[in-house]
Amino acid sequence: MSEPNAAARKRVFLYIPTTFLVLFFVLPLVALVVLSFWQTANYKIVRDWTTLNYVTLATESAYIIFFLRSLLMAILVSVFLVVVAWPIAFFIVRFGGRYKLIFSLLLAVPFLSGEVLRLIALQGMLGPTGLINGALMRLGAAPLRFIMYSNSATFIAFVYLYLPMTVTTIYLSLLNFDLRLASAASACGAGRLRVFSEVIWPLNLSGTMIGFLLSFIPTLSASLAPRFLGGPNGTLYGMSMAQQFGESGTWALGAAMGVVLVLFSIAALVILSLGVNLRRTGFTGMER
Amino acid sequence: MDSMSLKDFAAKWTMGLILITAYVFLYMPIVHILFASLSNHPNFPYPPNFNPKSYVNLATNSIYQSAFVNSLIIASCTAVLSTVMGFLATIGVLRFAGKRALFYAVFFAGPLFVSEILLGISSMSLYYLVFGLQGNMVTAIIANSVHCFSFCFLIMAAMLYKYDWRMNEAAIVCGATPFRAFLEVMLPLTWSGIMGSLIVAFVLALNGLDISFYLLGATPTMPSVAWGALRYGVKPELYALSTIINAAVFLAIIVLFLKARNTKTAPV
Repeated sequence: MSEPNAAARKRVFLYIPTTFLVLFFVLPLVALVVLSFWQTANYKIVRDWTTLNYVTLATESAYIIFFLRSLLMAILVSVFLVVVAWPIAFFIVRFGGRYKLIFSLLLAVPFLSGEVLRLIALQGMLGPTGLINGALMRLGAAPLRFIMYSNSATFIAFVYLYLPMTVTTIYLSLLNFDLRLASAASACGAGRLRVFSEVIWPLNLSGTMIGFLLSFIPTLSASLAPRFLGGPNGTLYGMSMAQQFGESGTWALGAAMGVVLVLFSIAALVILSLGVNLRRTGFTGMER
Repeated sequence: MDSMSLKDFAAKWTMGLILITAYVFLYMPIVHILFASLSNHPNFPYPPNFNPKSYVNLATNSIYQSAFVNSLIIASCTAVLSTVMGFLATIGVLRFAGKRALFYAVFFAGPLFVSEILLGISSMSLYYLVFGLQGNMVTAIIANSVHCFSFCFLIMAAMLYKYDWRMNEAAIVCGATPFRAFLEVMLPLTWSGIMGSLIVAFVLALNGLDISFYLLGATPTMPSVAWGALRYGVKPELYALSTIINAAVFLAIIVLFLKARNTKTAPV
């Protein structure tokens, strides 16, 4: 193959998707930043540079509370998901045998049916007349109040929405992990806990971190689940942001909230990737 | 020795129990609304009975019909666009990126780490608020494709990771043009990955609310109509719609499974 030909091909294969992403992914994010430094008055954009939106976000207690609530929710949901997803993924990889593919594809069905439809389904379970409370009332018991229109309902919804994603990520990590390493460690006399904490966990840490992030980031900026299930004290940051773009028409403030969410997502990404020592995770670069 | 194996047994079945609980948790709502959609008492449909009324209502509701057509157009175009982009990206990263492979792979996976609502809002900021463009199908398709692109890229990269590029070269050496080598050698061998990418992108774009919502204005899509209806209380039609979508996704997954199994058993 001649050299200029190969260079031209390389250009096509890498530059087309790169251009696509720069135009339709990076540029919109830049526009979001620009908008966040403008103002909105009477449902119109005023193109005056100002940091007023950020001052509002940093000083008004409602926004601070929404944000802290979102952050706490995102941390709790992601930690819980990682703790639950590990044994599931490990079981599939270790004992799944020839049913591995079925197990993992069964996770995709609830994932692919979409957020709105899944929230509708969950409402059928958790709502005042849903399956759980309906069954309890038929049995003569009192309905569980904490799963109706509360932060716990939102928590359950997030777990329901992102469990397939977290399990799949950790599953893929474990699938590429050589289980013989664990056997070798235990043959050399390491106890069960030690095999896990010194071999299995560190070697799958980067996959686990990605699983954590893939539930943390959407939870941090979620708007549908809290709006539908969160009740009066369940407003989260993303929901408030969506309202700025909807009912209130204060787009610039909403854009500033979007920037805050993007920044915190990036911060989470950076903090977690600093925590991952690539060498220790067995990453040896992209071998070809 | 005996206590060891007992511990192993306990660990295995604790994990198994968590797995079963998780799958029950994931599927119980889906089965519940299946019953609810077919019941005379949608709130508490036990014992289940069979009444297709909600499906008839759904089929004759004109709002859902136009929303269905719109969603279908968006999902099909998104599936094709994001799969083509993802395919180019996959080949680019695996074959032509050299030392920059990791950089490009992280960049191409980037949209995964920006939530859907932020993608929708930032795209709207660009088109509507900066350029003054009204929301339309094209912008909705493009924004959806950005979100699906990362999934397509990762699915096809996972499938193509072990692809032997010498097969293309062999075809070219035997006189085929690169395009013909792609069409007759590579495409059949990588079809299950491409198929998976198309299906996943289609279904994601069909059911995603956040992105289309901010880019379409008043044009109804299935999720936006469902969301609108939701605010006035859940109706049995919504259960019916949800059940149909779940059944379709289930079918698509079965197709994917058979495809993947056949590819595995076929001699390579």
